Parts: sequence; structure tokens; C-alpha cells
Amino acid sequence: MSAAFSPELIGKIEALAGRYPVKAASLLPVLHLVQSERGHVSAEDERAVAGLLGMPPVKVREVMTFYTMFRRIPVGRYHIQVCTNLSCALAGGDSLAAHLETKLGVKLGGTTADGKFTLTGVECLGACETAPCLMINFDYYGNLDAARIDDLLGSLT
Amino acid sequence: MIKLFIDGAAVEVPEGTTVFKAAEQAGIALPHFCFHPAFAPEGTCRLCLVQIEGSPKLELSCSTVIREGMKVVTQSPAVGEARRGVLEFLLAEHPLDCPICDKAGECKLQDYSRDYGLTESAFREFKEKRDKKVAIGEKLLLDRERCIQCTRCVRFLAEVTKTHELGVFERGVRTEIGILDGVPVQNGYSGNLVDLCPVGAITDTDFRFKTRPWFLSRAESVCPHCGRGCNIYVDYHPGLPRVPGSAKVFRIRPRTNEAVNGPWICDVGRYGYVRAQNAGRSDRPFWNKDGAKTELGWDTAMAILGDKLRALVDAGRADRVAVAATSWLTNEELFLVKKIFRDDFGSGRIVLCDPRPGEGDDFLRRPDRTPNARGARELGFDPAPPALEALARGTEVLILFGPHIAEHFRPAELRAALDGIAVKVLVTPHLTGLEGLMDGVLASATPAEKDGSFTNFEGRVQPFAAAARPCPDVRSELEILAALAGSLGLRPDYYGRLTTAAAVRRELAKEIPFFGARA
Repeated sequence: MSAAFSPELIGKIEALAGRYPVKAASLLPVLHLVQSERGHVSAEDERAVAGLLGMPPVKVREVMTFYTMFRRIPVGRYHIQVCTNLSCALAGGDSLAAHLETKLGVKLGGTTADGKFTLTGVECLGACETAPCLMINFDYYGNLDAARIDDLLGSLT
Repeated sequence: MIKLFIDGAAVEVPEGTTVFKAAEQAGIALPHFCFHPAFAPEGTCRLCLVQIEGSPKLELSCSTVIREGMKVVTQSPAVGEARRGVLEFLLAEHPLDCPICDKAGECKLQDYSRDYGLTESAFREFKEKRDKKVAIGEKLLLDRERCIQCTRCVRFLAEVTKTHELGVFERGVRTEIGILDGVPVQNGYSGNLVDLCPVGAITDTDFRFKTRPWFLSRAESVCPHCGRGCNIYVDYHPGLPRVPGSAKVFRIRPRTNEAVNGPWICDVGRYGYVRAQNAGRSDRPFWNKDGAKTELGWDTAMAILGDKLRALVDAGRADRVAVAATSWLTNEELFLVKKIFRDDFGSGRIVLCDPRPGEGDDFLRRPDRTPNARGARELGFDPAPPALEALARGTEVLILFGPHIAEHFRPAELRAALDGIAVKVLVTPHLTGLEGLMDGVLASATPAEKDGSFTNFEGRVQPFAAAARPCPDVRSELEILAALAGSLGLRPDYYGRLTTAAAVRRELAKEIPFFGARA
């Protein structure tokens, strides 16, 4: 169960919806907004969004599941997305992912027990020139090796 | 009007028509899965592709609007290749379980594969495994391997019922149809999804694995479950000569009539009707004698009733007969009830006893639980439930059509009132317990088993013919009434002609202006 939307969040959603000829057209930016404020979009949040935008909840679920970057379950405070696609793999990206798994004690897709980190394997992050790379929340980190990753993780509180 | 050419032939259609509909008008049926005339074009199945002169690629006929002088080719090597490609892709992920699929025999994918898809598949990999029986509604099972994602079901729930239970989730190879968080499809019209599904992805637990579609005969009828009078098909097994009970109604499907029900029917009509045909039937006449039930042949049963009525007539007490009719009877039957008992017997105790109204909705379903309430009203019957006292006092012969009187009065009340009546006969297609209070029971036909007409709530008189006869030993009320008039020797020159529904309907039109205007 997640708490109801705050008046501020509702205000922001309505402002976004007001920018489009029909409210439903604002669904993608609204979902991004909700996810950035709450970490993920729960089933309850989906229904709340559907209600605010005047659309059936099933339509929100369709969009949520169509796009891979919307999260329906909670993630840790730091969401680490490590690239497992070609350029990074050639530069050692898979051993990087394995190192992260050992270091954090979770498999790809898992969240640490203290809720601090979620580790996800993703396809290309579009930063092949810095392969191997990963994202922590909205920030990019490239040209990585095991030592740099240890430093990086150590710097996160 | 805009003129275009389809396969070389000139066609004229109104502006805004799609190529698909123009072709249909020219007598050319284009293959399609996602298109359905009740919905806006979707354009996802890519099967209705045609060649249009001047277009570099093939175009979707379902969503392309015609232009003046357009030249359309619906059959060509390029079109054939495209259709083969679409079908090959669909079959790459479609299980070949046709031998156990309920849709086999009426499956669009089977038909089109035969018509356009005869090709060897280039697909050598294993097929995806998916859920084969996902319960998405009380009587609905979804097979995700068979689903071709035409989204007709999703659009029906979005556009027709507006209840939005189903959605298209995920994408690419993981795309699937499903319900949201376990909330089932439940809107009173869910059975239509089974008819809409062009393949066997949505099946009906009532029909699943019960028979094969090609064993069924299809007859046209009118649904009797409310005053709408939806046009239906009765799909029935005609029966095997050496297997008693094999003649059976298996399903009810909508028959498109834009003026009445469009292409849909409600679940009450669909499922209730199959039950009404097969379950709880009174299947032969009987007489309760000294507390024991004695089965009688029709001749004996009719002779007993005839003798009792004749005795009244001979004694000059013909008006001591009381009749409770029901709006389950056809216009023709109600007319005969009125003519025989009101006009010839002179009885003032000819009433209507209908089931209590239920709930309607804002789509097809009407609150009345009978098919012919309007017809009964036009024939002069009072729709209010009868007063038991007035019906029973001084009555010597009571004829009840249908068991609905038991809905209006408590059993003790009913027993007390009916006790004093010498002869009580129930004419009914179903046994509901009331028969214990009766002297005789005549087993009558359901609407699917007889000829006649119903007047729907809008005043539309809809004739129908007998569709199926699962119970061989029942007679329609019209046959019973005509036989009574005959055996009593009532005005032979008049009743002698009125032995078929068509003949009674002609007489009805002559005598009552409402029906005359609609003949």
C-alpha cells in the first residue's frame, strides 16, 4: 500500500495534463513524474493516475507494461542499471555485472536487504563510447573497472 | 457518390467509404481478423492488404478511404505473397491443436490458411509456451497460445460495454491479452467475446469440449428472455436415431439485426436459453390421480380436458372457465386464448399472469422477463397480476399457461384458492413444483420449438419458425388450443382454418389494426 498522492503531486499532474488537448495524452510524462517522486508506480498509483486523467485503469497498465523503464515494484534508494549489451560486453561489461552481483550480494533484478541498492541488467544505455558503463539513478558512469566500481559504491551513502 | 475500380469493375460508393466496404459492396470479401463492422478500423492484422495503383506499397483496405478514380486490385501475386506472409507469421506462434479446439470448423485462421496460406513454414524453432486456460470471466477461458492479438475482445469491452476489463499488456513477443489485477470480465454481455474471437482463443466453458460445430444445425429464432426480442441463432444437435436425448440445444448466438440487437445478445439470453431448452422440462402430459402421477398420451389428455369443457358448455356454464395466460405465449396463441375463451365461452376470467419484472440495463436488456408483454397488451390483456380471489371464485375449470402464478402467491394461499376448483390444468414447458397442485399437466413447447411471433417492447412483430425439437413429445400452445377448438366443435368454419401460426397471424392482422399495420 502506498500513500495517496500529495496535493503538490496532484497539482503537478494537473498542470502537466493541462498542456495537452486531451488529458490522456499526458500519460507518459505523468507516469515519469510519479515514478521520479515515488520511486515506482504501484497498482494503486496507476488507478490514481487513471482517475486524474479520466481514463480506464487498464489503459494505464497497458502503457506501464509496454515501456520497460516504468517500474511497478519498489526499487532501492540507488537504482544501478548495468549495461549487458554488445559494446559493453566486449569491454568487459559482463564481468562488471558479476562483480556488482558479488559485491552487493544480489542477482540482477534484485534489491539489497537494507533497501539501499537495486541492481538491474539493461540493454544499451547509448553511451558505447564510454563502455563499459552503468547508470545510478539518473547519472551515467563510464570507463569502469572493478576498482572504480568499489570507489563508486563506497561514495554512496 | 464516388466512382472507383475494384479488380477492373466500376463501383460507386458514398464519399468516406473505406476500400474494404466498397469491395464488400462489389461482392468481394476480403480476409480480415481485426476488422469488425461494429468497431472503428484497427489495422493490426495486416491481412486485408490490397494493391492501389500509384501506391508504392500495399495498403490496408479496412482503413484506407476511397478516392475518385482509384484503381484497387484485391488479387495479385504481390497481395497473395503478403497474405501468405501474415499467415505464416501467425502460424509460427499458433498451436496446431485444431483437433481439440472448439473453434475448429468455424475458425477464420483455418479458413484463411486454406484460402491464402498454403505454404511451408520457414519456422524451425520451438513455439513459445504460454498459458492455455486463463479464466477471464465466469464462463470465459483465454488461451494465450491461440490468441492472434486482433484485439477485438479488448475493443468490444472498450467501445460497446465500456467496461474496459481487458487490456493488451507487455510488447513484442511477450504481448498478451489479460484482465487487470484479477478483476474478471463481468458485464452481462461477456459471451459476445466468444463469438467475436476469430480463433479459438476465448472459449465458453458452457460449450467447451461438448460437441463439434460441424455436428450442429443452425436455426433462426427470437430470444424470449426479455421484451427486446433479440434475433438469435439456435445451434442444436438434430439427434442420433439410436441415442435417446441426443437431440439438444448446444448454444445460442446473436443473429445480426441492426434495428433490434445489432450483432450482440446478453448473457441471460445466451446461457439462460440453453438451460431453458434442456433442463427441468415437462416432456410429456400427465394427470395426477389419487395422489399418483399417471402419464397419459396426448389423445387421452386432450380428451379429458375436452370432456370437462364440453360438460360446462352443455350445462350452460361455459363462463365458469378461467384462464391465466402469459406473455411467454406468442401473439397467435394469445389471440386464440382470447377468441376461444373470451368470445366463444363468454368467460370474464381471462387474465394474464406474468413473472415479476426484473432489472434492465441501458443497452439491450429490458426489465420484463417475457418476450411478448407488448403483444399481450395490444391484444387487450391487462399486465397487472390477477386477483386470486376473482380468478378462483365460482371457477370450475382453470387453465394455467406457465407456472408464474406461483411467483405472486404463497403456496398455502394458492392451495386454498385452487382447492375448490374441480379441474385444474397447467400448460407449461417447465416443471417448477406447481404441478403438485394441478390435476393435469400438458407439456408445451418452448419458443425455440414452435412457430409464431412476438411483439417486442417497441412494437416490432417478429415472426419465427420452430428451430429445434429436443423434446419430441411436447406440443405448442397453438396446437393445444387449435385441437381444443376442434374437439369442442367450436365454429368449424372459423377455427378450422386457424391451425397454423401463419394462418392465425393472417387472421390477427385482419381483426386487430395494430397487427394489420405490421403484417
